[in-house]
Amino acid sequence: MHKTLTITPSRCISCRTCELACSFKHAGVGGLGISRIRTFMFGEGKNQILTCFQCDEAACVKVCPVEALSRNESTGAIEVNEARCIGCGLCSIACPFGHMAHDAVNGIAVKCDLCRADEPACAAFCPTRTLEYI
Amino acid sequence: MTTEKTISLEINGRIFQAQEGMTILDVAQREGIPIPTLCYHEALESVGACRLCLVEITHPDWKGWRGLVTACLYAVEEGLQVTTDNAEIHNTRRTLLDLLLARCPNSDVIQKLAAEYGVTATSFQKNPIETTCILCGLCVRVCAVKGCSAIGSARRGIQKKIAIPFGQPPPDCIGCASCAHICPTGTIKYEDTADVRKIWGHTFKMVKCESCGRPVMPEKQLEFESEKSGLGPDYFKLCPVCSQRKSVETIRSTFDMKPVEVAR
Repeated sequence: MHKTLTITPSRCISCRTCELACSFKHAGVGGLGISRIRTFMFGEGKNQILTCFQCDEAACVKVCPVEALSRNESTGAIEVNEARCIGCGLCSIACPFGHMAHDAVNGIAVKCDLCRADEPACAAFCPTRTLEYI
Repeated sequence: MTTEKTISLEINGRIFQAQEGMTILDVAQREGIPIPTLCYHEALESVGACRLCLVEITHPDWKGWRGLVTACLYAVEEGLQVTTDNAEIHNTRRTLLDLLLARCPNSDVIQKLAAEYGVTATSFQKNPIETTCILCGLCVRVCAVKGCSAIGSARRGIQKKIAIPFGQPPPDCIGCASCAHICPTGTIKYEDTADVRKIWGHTFKMVKCESCGRPVMPEKQLEFESEKSGLGPDYFKLCPVCSQRKSVETIRSTFDMKPVEVAR
């Protein structure tokens, strides 16, 4: 059984460190807009953090015309094979939760891949254990 | 299923292991050895159209014979000795880029790549027909992979071009614009407005996001994708931003009803 990225929104202090950690890890630059994890703030200290649910029956995988999306059996995450992706954007439309992003610079799909083999950067940097990889 | 046989080959004097059926380019890319390509895409069948990935091969059993082959098509063999760059390869690629520059003098991509090989102006006669298409065929192959095969190539020799059947808007085109997205030189263009997408002579009516009204995809593509994926049309009616907003709202309303107690 692989580990799971758990999110406990009640602990979130809306610091958005997870978003920075994610963008640094994947794009090499800090930018909240290019993060694969997103914080939503509702005021009164209520926050929600959203990232890919790694669905069992994933719509993104079903629609991809070139099989660029597949599950990494060791982490359980669905990963984008950047070399295969043709940038058609279908996965981002098909995802019912809006978790697929499109990298406009490279013209390919990007999504949370639980940082492949490492501990997810968002969980490693979260100061309040809102994000945990357990 | 055939059992995968491990093969060892030599690239630039180093020994690498590969599986039977892999091409030289597969191994080189895996090992981070640079080989230039223009018509290669991992998701599509290789055709060896651009010839830029030419590498030199030889084998201890070949009695000194050596030759240039396209790395994207040549399957690895036991004991194969590959050189990915030497003076001869460099000159051949240089000539190829010189020819491509003669064909497409105004293509930024070709200009840049040619300059890397020292070609800043073509030494051949320039193509009188203005084009930036290098005939790599990626658009045709991606269209086939999508399951449409709406576009193809027409004519031969210098008159060869990427074309639509009989010059008419292709009946099988769904307006997905994958051909335009994959085109390495940006030759294939499409035009999106709030209501329609214009491509290959078609004017496709766009499906609008049920929530914000932004165009999502052509109606014909929605029909095609919902049937092909088996997901049905409901999966394609919201734009990604509104999908995410909807999931945030759903989670929030769930939270307001059932606050979660977290033990610390």
